[in-house]
Amino acid sequence: MPRRSLALFAGIALPLLAHGQANETLTVYTHPSFAAAWGPGPGVKEAFEQRCDCTLEYVVLDSGGDILQRLRLEGNSTDADVVLGLHTGTMETARQTDLLAPHGITFESLELPIDWQDSLFVPYDWGYFAFVYNTEQLPNPPNSLEELVNAPEELQIIIQDPRTSTPGLGLLLWMKAVYGDQAGEKWQALSDNILTTTKSWSDGYFSLFMNGEAPMILSYSTSPAYHMAIDKTDRYQAAEFEEGHYLQVEVAALVEPSEQKALARDFLQFILTADFQRHIPLKNVMYPAIDLGDELPEVFDRLIQPDNTLFIDPAIVAEKRKSWLDEWLNAMIP
Amino acid sequence: MRQVPFGASLAPFSHPGWQIGPGLLIAGSLLALTIAGVAALLCQAPLPEASELWQNRYLSNVIRFTVWQATLSTGLSLVLGLVIALVLVRQPRFPGRGLLLRMMELSLVLPTIVAVSGLVGVYGRHGWLTSVIDHWTTFGWNLYGLNGIVLAHIFFNAPLAGRILLQALESVPAPRRRVASQLGLQGWWLWRTLDWPAVSQVLPGLAALVFTLCFTSFAIVMTLGGGPASTTLEVAIYQSLRFEFDFGRAALLAIVQLLICGAIWLLMVRRGLSANLTPQRSFPETILRPDSLGLTRFRDVALLLCFTLFLLLPLAAILVRGMPGLVTVAIDGGNPLADLANATLRSFAIALPAGALSVLSALLVRALASRGGPHLIRLSSVATAVPLMVPPIVLGTGLFLLLRPSLGHAYQGLALVALINGLMALPFVTQLLRGPLTGLDEATTRQADQLGLLGWYRWRWLHWPRLRRPLALAMAYGTGLSLGDFGVIALFGSPGQPTVPVLLYQQLGSYRMELAAGTALWLVTLLLLVFAAFNLPGYRRKQSRHQQDALKTLAEARHA
Repeated sequence: MPRRSLALFAGIALPLLAHGQANETLTVYTHPSFAAAWGPGPGVKEAFEQRCDCTLEYVVLDSGGDILQRLRLEGNSTDADVVLGLHTGTMETARQTDLLAPHGITFESLELPIDWQDSLFVPYDWGYFAFVYNTEQLPNPPNSLEELVNAPEELQIIIQDPRTSTPGLGLLLWMKAVYGDQAGEKWQALSDNILTTTKSWSDGYFSLFMNGEAPMILSYSTSPAYHMAIDKTDRYQAAEFEEGHYLQVEVAALVEPSEQKALARDFLQFILTADFQRHIPLKNVMYPAIDLGDELPEVFDRLIQPDNTLFIDPAIVAEKRKSWLDEWLNAMIP
Repeated sequence: MRQVPFGASLAPFSHPGWQIGPGLLIAGSLLALTIAGVAALLCQAPLPEASELWQNRYLSNVIRFTVWQATLSTGLSLVLGLVIALVLVRQPRFPGRGLLLRMMELSLVLPTIVAVSGLVGVYGRHGWLTSVIDHWTTFGWNLYGLNGIVLAHIFFNAPLAGRILLQALESVPAPRRRVASQLGLQGWWLWRTLDWPAVSQVLPGLAALVFTLCFTSFAIVMTLGGGPASTTLEVAIYQSLRFEFDFGRAALLAIVQLLICGAIWLLMVRRGLSANLTPQRSFPETILRPDSLGLTRFRDVALLLCFTLFLLLPLAAILVRGMPGLVTVAIDGGNPLADLANATLRSFAIALPAGALSVLSALLVRALASRGGPHLIRLSSVATAVPLMVPPIVLGTGLFLLLRPSLGHAYQGLALVALINGLMALPFVTQLLRGPLTGLDEATTRQADQLGLLGWYRWRWLHWPRLRRPLALAMAYGTGLSLGDFGVIALFGSPGQPTVPVLLYQQLGSYRMELAAGTALWLVTLLLLVFAAFNLPGYRRKQSRHQQDALKTLAEARHA
């Protein structure tokens, strides 16, 4: 009996002691695909904890939008030291909260398709929006956005709603970058090819696309890398469009009310090292933000390489998003 | 006036305050929390001009479409539910009846993404049934649009309606049924004397519940709706909150939703106020209905087969799709298996308390309805449903604003999730218990009063034997709803330790499609097990009842 209570005591006390020994805890707000067991989260945590003598803790929120929302609601009382999982579509709104602090990093090793000089946001990965198609159902995909817009009704695609989903917003910006003022008409022309507009990427990808409902879905140019490397199938490929592809950059930032700014800055520095970035390609299925050299999985060489990178300044996106959404709604509702 | 016999005060919980106080507290706090949630948003931003609602073409379209699809879905779900409940009450014994009931219970609690995947596998462009239809007929079936929305809503709600209506029909007192059987009542007369009085008790509340569910449906409407032309008000609310941080507009739209659904509830509850005057002293037992044989039986069997296929095919699609993933996980073991096992334990740690909480709260609120005047009855009915009428995102944001300083760490967060899940299940559980709880006749209550059967004893000896099965079913629904819930847990954030639905979404987000299909199948299996387990007590009682039959007939004869 005494031995059992000793064991019980140890069981309770040891974790407490262990907890007391850890110096600091760095709290990172992020989204599920980063923190999941299969995402880059666990590997990143292990690698960072080895060098910092601290505990890295993820608070997992539903999406990038929710991270921003939570930050706004909590304001100065937030627990977050770092937010990770915002992207070029939402970062301007995040900037306007005045809750983010400069990272103080000079971007030397950064490798992005565009020039990046932002004082608040540190890119951790990037990718192009693209239509992924099932090569068995659709041997000859359209070669351009224009071809897709004018495609016969037989070609059905799945897209996501720009009000609820990141790729959905990406397509809205893509159309805008290519067609400018004509975007509304082009959406109208595209509408008979749209099988449905789902709430989230997962809804469309899992319930519809992988069920064979439509041969083509709005996703990322990097999606086939996962299917080729892990699923070992070449069945799903991204269609390369002549007009170019819209770029998404995912970013992290330091939170102004954080009491651990030094540690948080260390983490932001750490983001741009190979120890962080090697988890990105196959676990987040995006391009790493630095040159990984040989460590970049081979399948990434087989992805489409758009000649033209489309990108609208996030400040303009933040300003115009509402009116562009209204334009889209008016075009889509007969 | 009720007579209070000598010594009654000794019965635990027999003070009238115990029948009103806790229920009033729960109903009141539900209303207060909802109002506070919306008000917290309004503190951040003023309410915009209401004229925007009819001036904005998009918004007025959305409201019109939402009302239209919800009305259509509710009507069809109730009709199908009623037809199936009548068939099931006519045919009390056939192989697989229990399994069919479990499937009916299951469909409501399926997570949207899982159910949609199943429905698409059957009715989608390349679905099983669609290929059959295309092959044999020239009928151009298209899932996407109003078709799909209504079909999915019927898939979710018709079985719920059928289950609750069946329970109401089964609770028709045996003497009544025997008389109807002896008189050979059939068709309209049987419906008018036997079925309608039982059904009319629960139908209005059920209609309000299903309407609210269809009105606030979000992901289904978007996935199967085809485009932004068919969306619900919830999408507009989501947009205002998530993208535009327009708290005022979000609150305005939430209030519109609350008013429309609330009006339906008030209307329905007013209709549903009728007391049960018939004696009800015996348990449900098999009495042959005059309309259960011959040609009717053929028709019934055909109907049941169609309905079973309607429920079974999507589940089969989920099974076929999930099997490879689940088998791989089971055979390979290692991390994926451990993740799944831990997630399962965590899910139950939330779902069982949530289920118990919902049943307990429902009982307390119903106790309020049985003792209070008409106003209290209405309050108790509407209050339980109010959390369903406010979009979770609004309620969550509002409560977050309110509770923020006192919100501690992860474990408190999980307790909060259990609490909210329990409250979200309340309207369903209340509907399930409404029939059995109000079914007690005047004579029995008076006799119980005279015997001093009050408080705890009244509950133990009068209500418990009749309520055991409905309570177990209610508990199953409460647990199942929480087990399949993703929304609330995502709202408050989880510390990286997923429940089964969160695990499923994580796998989806990381392209683990095969694994996700396996997890979806596992979740469906768990839900089925929950319903099977909570229905066990009722099953065992049914077995032993045959031995008591002789005794009971004797007792009843003496009674008469």
